[in-house]
Amino acid sequence: MRAFSTDHKVIGLQYAFTSLAFLLLGFLLILMLRWHLAWPTAPLPLVGSLLGDTRAIDGILLPEFYNQIGAMHGTIMVFLAVVPLAVGAFGNYLVPLMIGANDMAFPRINAASYWTYLAGGLVMISGFFLPGGAAASGWTSYAPLSILASSGQTAWLLGLLLLIASSLFSSVNMIVTILQLRAPGLTLMRLPFFIWTQLITSFLLLLAFPALQAAAILQLMDRLAGTSFFLPSGLVVSGERLAATGGGSPILWQHLFWFLAHPEVYVLILPALGIVAEVVANITRKPLWGYRGMVSATLFMAVMSFLVWAHHMFLTGMGPTMSAFFQVTTMIISVPSVVIVSALLLSLYGGSIRFTVPGMFALAFLPMFGIGGLTGLPLGLAASDIPLHDTYYVVGHFHYVVAPGTLFALFAGIYYWFPKVTGREMNATLGRLHFWASLIGMNGIFLPMFIQGLAGLNRRLYDGGRSYEMFAHFDGSFRGQAWSAVFLAAGQLFFIANLVWSLTRGRRTSSNPWNATTLEWATTSPPPHDNFASTPVVHRGPYDYSVPGAASDFLLQNDR
Amino acid sequence: MNVPYTVDRRPDTGVTNVTMGVWLFLASEVMLFGALFSAYALLRVSAPAWPSGRDVLDLKMGGLNTAIILLSTALVWRASRMASTPGRPVIVSTLLAVAFLASKAFEYHDDVARGLVPSTNTFLAMYFTLTGLHVLHVVGGAIANIWLLAGVRRVDMRMTTGRARGIALYWMFVDIVWLVIFSLFYLS
Repeated sequence: MRAFSTDHKVIGLQYAFTSLAFLLLGFLLILMLRWHLAWPTAPLPLVGSLLGDTRAIDGILLPEFYNQIGAMHGTIMVFLAVVPLAVGAFGNYLVPLMIGANDMAFPRINAASYWTYLAGGLVMISGFFLPGGAAASGWTSYAPLSILASSGQTAWLLGLLLLIASSLFSSVNMIVTILQLRAPGLTLMRLPFFIWTQLITSFLLLLAFPALQAAAILQLMDRLAGTSFFLPSGLVVSGERLAATGGGSPILWQHLFWFLAHPEVYVLILPALGIVAEVVANITRKPLWGYRGMVSATLFMAVMSFLVWAHHMFLTGMGPTMSAFFQVTTMIISVPSVVIVSALLLSLYGGSIRFTVPGMFALAFLPMFGIGGLTGLPLGLAASDIPLHDTYYVVGHFHYVVAPGTLFALFAGIYYWFPKVTGREMNATLGRLHFWASLIGMNGIFLPMFIQGLAGLNRRLYDGGRSYEMFAHFDGSFRGQAWSAVFLAAGQLFFIANLVWSLTRGRRTSSNPWNATTLEWATTSPPPHDNFASTPVVHRGPYDYSVPGAASDFLLQNDR
Repeated sequence: MNVPYTVDRRPDTGVTNVTMGVWLFLASEVMLFGALFSAYALLRVSAPAWPSGRDVLDLKMGGLNTAIILLSTALVWRASRMASTPGRPVIVSTLLAVAFLASKAFEYHDDVARGLVPSTNTFLAMYFTLTGLHVLHVVGGAIANIWLLAGVRRVDMRMTTGRARGIALYWMFVDIVWLVIFSLFYLS
């Protein structure tokens, strides 16, 4: 296996291991922060003394480093871990196999996309070693704070521009691959739902990311060339008038940022829904309920996701007309998500469900994503959003969507497709331990956030609100969250051990151990360099499980 | 390994991989410049005063650059429609792109000499950002032209034609962006 391979499977695995490493880094950063919030005046065990005087004194996190952790955790998780894992790893490895193609349409651009992503990630992380540390203005990098921040912010912006270039390469490649390289007979309505989600996700990345690209270029100009795109006139910093021309608008940054960042939410969730749909059909041994409805809902959701961004900005004083528009679009966009989740729930009905490890992760995804989605509705209405804005309630809401939501789906996908990638099984007992530890750990961290947020606790307080008497009783819940985080970390050791052990020692399996229907199971495990011995010809839909009169309870898409 | 539809059109979509890829790339570029032009509009309408472009910038230089870049694109487009190997028109087009860059460098030098820099005011901040980004696109186009010429002997004729058509589309987009920049800054 060459490092600079253009084989989509090698690139997919490069994405997988890199993004899992970033996932671990993002998690370890926030683990320190959770411990600090539980015991703000006590030294951090084990690592506190290793951080150095610029980050912690006597083992206690400094406020400056606390801010860096907050900003970099969000950035790493969204841009370097979850999206590259969902799109870069799963998309690259599986899309050509599932559509019966030899490779992606542009193999060299595919390799360029990975290496640009890696460079972008490293540039961003390099901020930790610059004087003043890494970016510390939140993952949203709101102006003018971000423009006045230390040089870590410049590294953040340069890294982001590289990541956007990488995303552009891979989204063009993905769309062309899906539309152009489908096997004969694989019509659009015979595509597995996972492929639909990858296709639509790529369109979102293609069309939404340029807004942030523009914003990053403008912010870079503000920081390096002395322009004032996001600096208003007469800005006073630390009691002194800032020497800048002014005339810019901090709100403009927010518009450009959220024009990307709301579609980005769907980028985070759509591939997850795709994975869950594949696994649900497999464990229920039934066709998905409402496949066509799910595809239309996804398309509608993608279009609508470009019309809701300012519901993140109700506090900017946009006025009742604008606010009414974005509240209405936000309520509308909740409908297609409910359609998809309902279709998945109805797919379970009447099935004799096989509780495999991927199946358990996929089943837990449904209620967890449900909690995440439904708690978002009050945030989409200005009246309830204004008191909840910037509290832990918001943090709880989106973590339910992304952590026990998307991450559970991604874990389901790893356990489900591991036999295809390696020809070996992952250990089921370790998998179950990983599942229960993750489910309990994550709920222990995120559930208290709703209560803290409803009480008005701001999400960014360095001491967790200890200086306010009204938040004193949250001491216990912060400690519960810290221990939950440690428990969650311990649970991930089962996963890491399982992954490493199964790579070389896992039990060998057949080419189709789950008795699944889609084309990736029609070739050997692991697939050869060109994927298929001969181009498969598709004769049927993606979920022909339990077809009456068939010899087995599943038919591959290329079975006659 | 052999990727299908690199030169032949796929019957049900009616395009080659390259054509579809270029259109998708341009869609992304439209969103990039769309976001920047929206930023321009928002900052301009909220500004208490906005200078007239003709007083600040040299309309003659702008006009010259417009002529150069339109001619350059026309030549690439012509090359992409030729039955024979695209050679001479692409070479001339590349030289014109270099001429555009040279004249832009001269113009920037002159601006800075007159004390007009990005931090002077929002008009100039936008001017330098947008024209700078456009310059990068011209550099990219010139590199694409050279890549096309370098590939003429190595890939077959139909592949070269497909590449030439993609590059011609890209140059047209670069022209459209320039025309918007020209009217927003030089003619306003």
